[in-house]
Amino acid sequence: MGRVIGKRLFSIMALCAMVGLLLLPIVVALPSLALGEEATAGGAKKEGATVEKGRDVYYKTEGVVVGAPAPKTTDGPKDYPRYNFESRVLLWFANQQHLYYGSFVLAVPIFCMIIEFMGVVTKDKALAKRYDQLAYDFIKISLTAYSLTAVLGGILIFTFLTLYPAFFSYLSSVFRPVMHIYALMFVAESGTLYIYYYGWDKMKEGFLKWIHLSMSVVLNIIGTLLMFLANSWIGFMMSPAGVDEQGRYLGNIWHVIHTALWNPLNLHRILGNMAFGGGVVAAYAAYKFLAAKTDEDRAHYDWMGYIAMALGVAFLIPLPFAGYWLMREVYAYRQQMGITLMGGLLAWLFIIQATMIGILFLSTNYYLWQAMGRMRGAEKYQRYIKYLVFLLACGYMVFITPHTMVMTPAELKAMGGQQHPVLGNYGVMSAKNGGINVIITTTVLSFVWYMRGNKVSTVSWAKFGNIFMGVFFTCAYFNIIGLAVYGYYIPANVRVGLSVPQVTTTLSCLFFMFALNSMMMKGAKQMGPIEWGKISARSQYALIMLATAFTWMMGLMGYIRSSVRLFWHVNEIMRDNSPWAYTHTVGFAANMISANVLFFWISILFVFWLGSLTAKKAPAEVKVAVPGSVPQPVGSH
Amino acid sequence: MGNLISEALSMAWMAIVILVGLLVYFQMSIHDPVAKKRAVFKTFIGIVATFLLFVAIANYKTNFYGESRLLPVSLVMITATTFIMALYFTNLSALLRIGGMMFFIAAFLSGYGNWLPQVEGGFPPVEEKKTWDSMTSQQLADEGEKIIFGGVGKNQEQGAIGKGQCPLCHAFHAGMLGERAPNLLGLPNRKERLEDPKYSKGNPAKRDYSVKEAFPGSGTAENIQEYIAESHSCPSCYVVSGYGVKGTNDKESPMPAIHKPPISLSLPELAAVDTWIYLREGVEPPSFEEIVKSYEKFIPEADRPKQQEEKAGPPSALMADGTEPVDQIFAKAQCVSCHTIPGIPGAMGTIGPKLEEGTTAALRIKDPTYKGTAKSPAEYIMESIVEPSAYVVKPFPDNTMPKVFGQKLSAGALKKIVDYLSQVKAGAPPPKIS
Repeated sequence: MGRVIGKRLFSIMALCAMVGLLLLPIVVALPSLALGEEATAGGAKKEGATVEKGRDVYYKTEGVVVGAPAPKTTDGPKDYPRYNFESRVLLWFANQQHLYYGSFVLAVPIFCMIIEFMGVVTKDKALAKRYDQLAYDFIKISLTAYSLTAVLGGILIFTFLTLYPAFFSYLSSVFRPVMHIYALMFVAESGTLYIYYYGWDKMKEGFLKWIHLSMSVVLNIIGTLLMFLANSWIGFMMSPAGVDEQGRYLGNIWHVIHTALWNPLNLHRILGNMAFGGGVVAAYAAYKFLAAKTDEDRAHYDWMGYIAMALGVAFLIPLPFAGYWLMREVYAYRQQMGITLMGGLLAWLFIIQATMIGILFLSTNYYLWQAMGRMRGAEKYQRYIKYLVFLLACGYMVFITPHTMVMTPAELKAMGGQQHPVLGNYGVMSAKNGGINVIITTTVLSFVWYMRGNKVSTVSWAKFGNIFMGVFFTCAYFNIIGLAVYGYYIPANVRVGLSVPQVTTTLSCLFFMFALNSMMMKGAKQMGPIEWGKISARSQYALIMLATAFTWMMGLMGYIRSSVRLFWHVNEIMRDNSPWAYTHTVGFAANMISANVLFFWISILFVFWLGSLTAKKAPAEVKVAVPGSVPQPVGSH
Repeated sequence: MGNLISEALSMAWMAIVILVGLLVYFQMSIHDPVAKKRAVFKTFIGIVATFLLFVAIANYKTNFYGESRLLPVSLVMITATTFIMALYFTNLSALLRIGGMMFFIAAFLSGYGNWLPQVEGGFPPVEEKKTWDSMTSQQLADEGEKIIFGGVGKNQEQGAIGKGQCPLCHAFHAGMLGERAPNLLGLPNRKERLEDPKYSKGNPAKRDYSVKEAFPGSGTAENIQEYIAESHSCPSCYVVSGYGVKGTNDKESPMPAIHKPPISLSLPELAAVDTWIYLREGVEPPSFEEIVKSYEKFIPEADRPKQQEEKAGPPSALMADGTEPVDQIFAKAQCVSCHTIPGIPGAMGTIGPKLEEGTTAALRIKDPTYKGTAKSPAEYIMESIVEPSAYVVKPFPDNTMPKVFGQKLSAGALKKIVDYLSQVKAGAPPPKIS
């Protein structure tokens, strides 16, 4: 009894320690912020009438100038010291690697939280145990990656300081009031993560488990706040605020953080991290599946891969909509910036992005079709898959067709205009939206089939439900494709508005059909168990494809976002006067992204391999699952 | 290809020698014929895979800044190598197959990126010192056309764009629909705008827009030139119906103030732009001074871009910024005065060696007297430009070539020179100028 109370006491103390860590940066920041204000006020008093005021470039509010103007750099060792290599490429590499690892270690605890929660609320004890083990496996992977993230963060800062000292010192001078908060957040994140990880076994059941789960919430709050702070730097570089036209800080740090693009960037990054994290864990599971020697291991990692893929795709689906919001805000902030992205210098990169999105959805569908092979009763859907392939292929081809192209005068002359005589008729925005919405709707359909693969509905209204579902999907396809065609008959500025009903149709399919299917499958008759582990090796390569494509797309979009500033370190405030103030070709960028992706994967495969070495030493009791008795995961059935 | 193979062999010879040694050892030491055959076969596969891997690395190394379109080939080769090695090391088979798959995906995407048309963003425009006030109207108009479209006579070209970036949103000719901003044809005669009640001529306080005046006390335009000046400097003071920022009910314009970043046109540049707008329609433009004065009405002294200050940046100190075709870079850097460069017009100099680096660079690296650090022809060419004394071609004297090109040419310009020269081969037709 006393032992239980002692454990409870320990758990509550650990949770309090976490909350304390969470609050620590804020508490420490308060006096310094106040000090900053006093200093400003004091400075104002001393200066008397000579106090200088400036107007915020974004908020248009007036504030007392408290910072130095953005430095006007010149090419040379003072502002741009260098090795015998392009500094920008070095920084690009360091930044990208840090971001990959950072995204991974921020996403995985969110997965853990979700999976641990699923384990806590699941009534089936065997399944609960499996969920708990899965969450533990996830956090174990992220722990090794965590130290690498920190090392890469250090390398990034040193690279910045060494190669771009003027730029870095300007940014850190603007963000000075929150710099130490940022550092303390790291301390809080590390402390919380270690308490969470090492407290796992001590807080396995009952009340203690809930305390442990609460810790994951605290951990994720800290992680998310940390990411928001990091995003504020990027937001400031793209759409500065809180400074005047000369880049002088005006004393309001909230303005500096809360720039025009901060919120959409935050949302986009959370979703992106989750999709990416899902991809990495799915790839890990695929690796373990392919390397597995026993059926038991294959069953476990097949299941793990499925869960990770499902979570990743769940966050992938809303990602394009978050992307639309970000782009809309970019256009609202600076129209030229939007045009440079979507219709100018960087437009070809968006064609690559469209290709990538298509690859992601095609891989997901392929995996689901392969996964149906491990269910008895799912054969009935196999013969319809060719129609889904047809729909996906048509949607994909429309989606990747360019419309307006950036060309040299000679190319323009050769083509006879900015639009290709044949293809130019196809790639308009409403048709492209039609293409991607057809792809997403088809993915929803694949998921619905997968969810009912080995089941027969027993509800009395099953026939009506099936007919309704069929009609709903048919109408959805007609509506999406009809609007895509209608777009050709109306002016471009009206046509853009068609995306709203198209997206609404897709989302309706997603939510209504999933809900309806779940209701229909409640208490459904099982045709046979899901034989976890009995899936083709090809499906695992689809997971690898998914993970690699996620990683590549992340690198691509990061490059696009960063290079849209063109020759500005801080847009319209601090000019890039280095010899690298030009934008590389699409091909160079693609090669660089590939190099980054491959480095990341080689290093993380090494981390996985290291993890497998420690697993070999673990006692055999950890492996509790028995193939065949593996329950079906929540959310899929 | 020959260069690539020799480069690969120079890096891989040690590994290959070890593998060949292993091959011989297996031949000698294994007596079971089946086991011997298997061991020999696997070692042979290992040699092929190692060679492929090093060819891929050599390709990447040689072409990093050069023929980047070739780089995905490296990735495909590494993919093949990885799959071969998966046969070889069965205990790491899963890891190697996954790695191979990833290399293949990266190769496909890199190849795709390189297959698409290659667009490179140039350096920010260099500001040249001009004596604006002494220019004729036509000269001013030409400068204006350059600012709007990037060159004289380019106004009819689709997609032509200059420092002002106007054609991103505006159309300039009849029949062209500007979806983002009004068509500017007929602008010098749009006096009716001043009479529009929404414009509130003479009474800016009455305006129903997000900005009432360009700056407190600036007032409104009294004539069409002032209207143009006000539209440029304070786009949200009056918004043409249907062209406002979405959701603002045409109260706010999406157009940036032209005298502010990112476009930052100076007052004389704006005068040139306006002069072109008048002249191209056959309308007599106001004088340079009158146009500048109209802008002074709407742009306070402190907000006027200062041309000299902007010139402090390095682009103006460069001989070439890399946006020019390579023949112009050679001309601007005066390379043509001393060197003969096949394919470059006027490059007939004899003070320095003839530049056929596609053939000579590799030989010079191998020259026993070579003391530089270059390992590839591209590195050798770069070294010869930045540090001309690292290797002096006989019988030419040392210290003749200036040592400032590392500072005077941008990275983009140097890259173009290296790209071009590495393709010039003795006896072969010269490469295409890009």
